[in-house]
Amino acid sequence: MIMKGQKRKHPPEEVEVSDPSSPTWESQRQFVFSVSLNKYQRGQELPEPSLRRSVLIANTLRQVSREACRAPSVDMEVPPPLCSSSSELQESTLTGVAPAKPHSAAMFSNSHSALVSCPVVSLNNLSNCATSRSPATCHLSALNGPLSVKDEDEDWGSMSTDSDFSISAAISSILTALDSTIDGSPQAAPRTPLRSLENLSGPSDGGVAWGKQAVRGNGGSWEPQEEWRVPESSVEVMRSSYLSELTVEDLFQDIDTSLLERDMGVLGLRGSGGGYQAGDDLLRYLQPFSSSFPPSNPFSLSLNQNLKCLPSFSSFCPLSSSSSSSPAFSSPNLVREGLELEHLMEILVES
Amino acid sequence: MGEDTDATPTLNHRGFLPDHNYVTEADIISTVEFNHTGELLATGDKGGRVVIFQREPESKSEPFSQGEYNVYSTFQSHEPEFDYLKSLEIEEKINKIRWLPQQNAAQFLLSTNDKTIKLWKVSERDKRPEGYNLKDEEGRIKDISTVTSLQVPVLMPMDLMVEVSPRRVFANPHTYHVNSISVNSDYMTYMSADDLRINLWHLDITDRSFNIVDIKPVNMEDLTEVITAAEFHPHHCNLFVYSSSKGTLRLCDMREAALCDKHSKLFEEPEDPSARSFFSEIISSVSDVKFSHSGRYLLTRDYLTAKVWDLNMESKPLETYQVHDYLRSKLCSLYENDCIFDKFECAWNGSDSVIMTGAYNNFFRMFDRNTKRDVTLEASRESSKPRAVLKPRRVCAAGGKRRKDDISVDSLDFTKKILHTAWHPNENIIAIAATNNLYIFQDKLNSEMH
Repeated sequence: MIMKGQKRKHPPEEVEVSDPSSPTWESQRQFVFSVSLNKYQRGQELPEPSLRRSVLIANTLRQVSREACRAPSVDMEVPPPLCSSSSELQESTLTGVAPAKPHSAAMFSNSHSALVSCPVVSLNNLSNCATSRSPATCHLSALNGPLSVKDEDEDWGSMSTDSDFSISAAISSILTALDSTIDGSPQAAPRTPLRSLENLSGPSDGGVAWGKQAVRGNGGSWEPQEEWRVPESSVEVMRSSYLSELTVEDLFQDIDTSLLERDMGVLGLRGSGGGYQAGDDLLRYLQPFSSSFPPSNPFSLSLNQNLKCLPSFSSFCPLSSSSSSSPAFSSPNLVREGLELEHLMEILVES
Repeated sequence: MGEDTDATPTLNHRGFLPDHNYVTEADIISTVEFNHTGELLATGDKGGRVVIFQREPESKSEPFSQGEYNVYSTFQSHEPEFDYLKSLEIEEKINKIRWLPQQNAAQFLLSTNDKTIKLWKVSERDKRPEGYNLKDEEGRIKDISTVTSLQVPVLMPMDLMVEVSPRRVFANPHTYHVNSISVNSDYMTYMSADDLRINLWHLDITDRSFNIVDIKPVNMEDLTEVITAAEFHPHHCNLFVYSSSKGTLRLCDMREAALCDKHSKLFEEPEDPSARSFFSEIISSVSDVKFSHSGRYLLTRDYLTAKVWDLNMESKPLETYQVHDYLRSKLCSLYENDCIFDKFECAWNGSDSVIMTGAYNNFFRMFDRNTKRDVTLEASRESSKPRAVLKPRRVCAAGGKRRKDDISVDSLDFTKKILHTAWHPNENIIAIAATNNLYIFQDKLNSEMH
C-alpha cells in the first residue's frame, strides 16, 4: 500500500474503525490528526498549495477534533482539549485574509496557543467534575460566551496547582499579544512586542487583554472570533475584563529562564511582511516551554512535533503580501538570538 | 462492449512519445479529448504541449481495418509563467482541452492551464500559390528588368501542412486555479471554473468575463467547500452544473439571476451513517462531472464510486457503481500517501449506455448500465500487444480466494493511475492516458453503438 520505495512507518490501522468505543478508534483518530497536521503544513510550504487539498485536510482535522469531543469517556486525558480547540483550530486554520495583511504569523501563533492550551483544558476537565463538562457542553463552550464565575474559580484553582500549565497559559497569552503586533494592524503597529508586555503591569488595555487571554487559556472557553480578530479592532480585546486583577507577574512567576537557553529550534513562523524581528525571536524561543509538558501526554507530544504553520488560507488571497514561499524554519544565528532572548526575558520577568 | 464474453476489443496502441525508460515529468498527459466527430483526438501534457491525433480514413482495400489515429499536429500551447506580484510560478500544465463544434474548414479548441485560457485555430493548408510576378520560387525579389510579361499566380497542390495559431487569449480572469472549461451549446459562450468562482465568456471577447458563480466566503476562515468541476448542459444553453468537494452537485439556471450562487437543484446523497469514517468527506469529493449525451443524466466520479444521477431526482443517484471498493479499508494509507486526493475523470459512451472511468495499476473500468455488467481492463505495454485482445483483469481483496492472474490489493501499483479517459462520440473507441502513454482501444466487432 505504501508507495514503492517508501519506508513503511508506523502502520496505521488498516481497518476503518467507525465505532468510537473501539480501542483502535482513538489511536486511529490521533494518527489521522497528526498526519493531517503534517500534510497541511507541508502543503502550505509549497509555492502553490492546492486549495481543494487544503480545504479537505482542514475539514478532516476539524472532524477529527469533533469526534474527540463526542467520545470523552474513551480517553479523558486527551480528547477533550481538542473540542475546545476545534473551533480555535478552525479559526486558526482558515485565518485569512484581509488582503495585504500578513496574517501568517498571527495565524500560526493563534493555533499554537490554541493547541498549547489543550492540556490545560483537559486538566480542568479532570479536576472539575467531568459530568459538568459533557461533550456537548465542551464543544459548545468553545463557541459560546465567557465562563461563568464559578467555573473560573475552579479553573484558577486547577491552574495554580500545576506550574507547567500556567506556563503554557502565559505563553499563549504572550503569543496572542505578540501576534497582534506582528500582523501589522494599525492599532498594534506602533507597539513593539516588548512594550506590549510592559503594559501588562497595570490594569490597562494590555493588562486586560493578558488577563483575559490567560484565563481563556486555562478555562478553555475560547471566543475564537473575538480573540483572533484582535487586529481588526483592539476594542474587542478589551471587552471582557472579569479577571483584570490578574497581572502578568503572577503568570510569569514560574518561568524558568534556564529553559530558554535550550535551543529547540523555531516554532515555524512564516515570514511576516511586517518584519518584527524581536517578536519572531521571542516566539521561537518560547517553544521550549511547550516542550516541557509531560511527555506522557501523547497529544502534547504530537503537538510539539507538529507545531508548525497551521492551516491558513491567507496565502490564497491574491493580494496577501506574505505568501508562503519561504517559511522561516531555520534559526540562522543562534548565538545572537540567544543573547537577545536573555535580554527579553529579563525585561519580562522584571515587568 | 467490453464484457468478457461477447466483446473482443482490440488494441490499437500508440505511444504518446518515443519510448523512454523513465517518465519525464513534462510528458505526463494531463487531459484527453475527442472532438465532436471523433475524427480528432487532442491530448495536453504537463509541459504545456498539445498533440492532436487524426483518424486515418478507412481504406477501401481493408474494410475491416478501421482508421488508426496518427499524429496530426503538435504545438506548445502554454509556457511557464511567473507571477511577479505573488512570486509564484504558474504551471504550464494543460488542465483541460475542449473542442468547439466545427463551423468551417478550420477546427478550434480551447486549452487552459491554471490561469490562462487560449483559443487555438487548427487549419490545413494543402495548396499554395505559384507564379508570382515579383518574387521567384524561393521568394527572392526578382530583378524588374527580367520581367517581360504578367502572369496570374496559380494554386498548386502541396504537401499537407497543419497550421495552428492562437486566436484568442483569455488571460488572468481567475484568482484560483482553473479546473474546468465548458463550451456552451450556443457555440458563442463558454465558462471557466476555478476553485471558488465560475466565469462566463464570449468566445470573441477576451478582456471581459461575467462572474456567474462565486462561493468565496467573506472570511476565508469559513471556507469549507470548493468547486471541483463544471459543465454546460449539452442542449439547454441556460443550464450548467458544478460539483463540489463535499460531494454535492448544483444545477444552475442562468435565466434566474445574473449571479447563480443560488442553485436551481441540489443533488446530494445523504451520508450513510454506518459507513462513516474520518475520510468520509474526502472520498465524497466529486472529481469529475459529465452530462450524458442526451442531457437527461449526470455522471459523477468520487474516490471510490461512479454515480449516475437523473436530473429530475435530487435526493439520491440513480445508479452507483463501485469502482474499487477494495480500497475502502485502505483509506488511512491512501490518505497518508496522498492517493486519496487523486482526481479521476469519467466518460459516457455515445449512446449513454456504458460509463467508463480509470483506477490504479493502469486499470480502467467500464460499466454497462443496461446489463449491469462491468469489466476491468489494463492499459500497459507489457500486458497487451498491438492488435491483441484485452484480457479482463480482476482484483481480489487481501486474503480472499485468489484465481490465477488475479492481482491482490496489496500489489497494486498506486503510481500508475489512469486519471484521464475519453470515449469517441459515436463509436466504440476509447482513449486512455496512462501517465505518459496514450492508449487507444477499438472494439472491432461491436463498432456501432447499441
